[in-house]
Amino acid sequence: MTGYVLRRAALSVGVFVVMAVLTYLGVAALPGDACTALLGKFATAERLAQCRAEHGLDAPVLQRLGDWMAGLLRGDLGYSVKRSAPVGELMVPRIRNALLLAGVASLLAFPAAIAVGLATGRREQSKVSRTVDRAALVAMTLPEFVTASVLWLVLSVWLPLLPAVTVVSSDDSIVDLLPNVWLPAITLAVLVFAHVMRSMRASVSATSQRPFADAARLRGVAEATVVRRHILPAALPPTVNVVAVTAAWLLTGTFVVEVVFNYPGLGRLAVDAIADRDTDLILALTLLGLAVFIVASFLADTVIRLLDPRVRAGVGRA
Amino acid sequence: MTAVNAAPAATAVPWRRRWVSVGAIVVAAHLLLAVFVPLLPLQSPTAQDATAVLQGMSRSHWLGTDDLGRDVLSRTLWGGRPSIGIAFGAALLAALLGVLIGTAAALAGGWLDDVLMRINDVLLALPSLLVLMLVASFIGRQPVVLMATLAVMYAPPIARLVRGATLGVLGRDFVVAARLRGAGSGEIVVREVLPNIRGVVITEVAMQFSWILLAFSSLSFLGLGTAPPTPEWGLMVAGARTYITVNALPLVAPMVMLASLVLAVNSLIDRSALEDRQ
Repeated sequence: MTGYVLRRAALSVGVFVVMAVLTYLGVAALPGDACTALLGKFATAERLAQCRAEHGLDAPVLQRLGDWMAGLLRGDLGYSVKRSAPVGELMVPRIRNALLLAGVASLLAFPAAIAVGLATGRREQSKVSRTVDRAALVAMTLPEFVTASVLWLVLSVWLPLLPAVTVVSSDDSIVDLLPNVWLPAITLAVLVFAHVMRSMRASVSATSQRPFADAARLRGVAEATVVRRHILPAALPPTVNVVAVTAAWLLTGTFVVEVVFNYPGLGRLAVDAIADRDTDLILALTLLGLAVFIVASFLADTVIRLLDPRVRAGVGRA
Repeated sequence: MTAVNAAPAATAVPWRRRWVSVGAIVVAAHLLLAVFVPLLPLQSPTAQDATAVLQGMSRSHWLGTDDLGRDVLSRTLWGGRPSIGIAFGAALLAALLGVLIGTAAALAGGWLDDVLMRINDVLLALPSLLVLMLVASFIGRQPVVLMATLAVMYAPPIARLVRGATLGVLGRDFVVAARLRGAGSGEIVVREVLPNIRGVVITEVAMQFSWILLAFSSLSFLGLGTAPPTPEWGLMVAGARTYITVNALPLVAPMVMLASLVLAVNSLIDRSALEDRQ
């Protein structure tokens, strides 16, 4: 197991480095840079050249890539020309806010999704089970900004249970931020619930029809024990993967929901950075998202290996 | 593919059929509206009227007006055109790309298959909304640019499905017979493979059409898709958020239209057929 974890960790680091290089080259290949964005389309050639020299943007791309990677190793994420601040400083409060939002949404969604998926998966053909499944499908199909706006209209405009969207600054204290977390967190929780619940439901329903579950029942094992000892360990691994991917998405992919509710997290920072063509900030945020996804998939694979003896033995998943 | 979900089919089919007909009518209505809206006797969707802002329903403005005094009914009916047009074009392009790449990979096999499928995997792993935002911001938000980007981003799942389905058909007796008859690869694809995989491919393309529609309207919502003052549902929702407590109609109307289209398209898709394959 230790050997596996070390090999898998080394692979993750390798993938991260390769993806970081590709991301840098990809963003560098896009037309326009921080200086054209800062000076606008009426900038004279001299002003552009001066700005580029000032920020080291006139060097060849491979040299800039090298400097950028060396900076990363020192913990220097770059400098936002547009916002006149080091990228790291801009990101720290946003990371805290993103963790708060993702944490609240996770607590609301994951335990409920697994429990409901288990319950409805065992009676897949029942009316309740199919209705829940269809409702989840609708939540997955609708655009995020529609789901978010409907919840906003209902929960804060028509039934004023939660505060409407207010302007909070990104470095306000958590206590000031907390009332504004609920609406985006509920919206994200609905989406995450739908994905995780459907995965759990499908996987439980497939497992409970497998011969080993029937064999345990025929041996006279109590149904609760069949579920706990036989169905859950076999049904959880695919769902662990979905949980990992959705958790990573909660941390870094919530562009639309954060914009709807004006929440000062990483998603809204990314949308603003892209609209401003703030390349250093875009790179740092993409890199963070990449790291979160790689860590999440590493954790998911390790957990699955611990849960599922078939994967550990290299038999492959059924 | 095996019919894993065959058992409940006896009860599921009548239910599904009823919904398919409602879904088909809604989709058809949306498409007809998008094509023929210029012929309808509507007020201009962009004409502003400073004396009549944020009004409720009235005889002159059936769905009221927005913050610039523009007619919400007219804007809502026009608002599907940019997204439906771009999604339609992008889905067709993606289908073309997917079928070409998928059948080529399946027929060629060997290293070409490996290379095409690895490129496919990389594209599948990219977060499409992030890529779209980058392209719209750095390259431009012209419809052609966005349509091409969407087509490239949404072709990989189609290519993967086509490749799998083609491999399934290639081993069948009638393809062997065609080979023995001396048919070339192109002829086999057009006359033997495509007619046999048509059903699943159309289903998958319809699914991608609905994802493309979501991606494009989200892009517009974020302010990087359709540029104002053109009416577009995502853009209208984004603009209406600021005065929601005064008048919710400019927010609700485009949301109802977008949601009804997306849900209707999805009701037409037989998900069980696709999920069995994946």
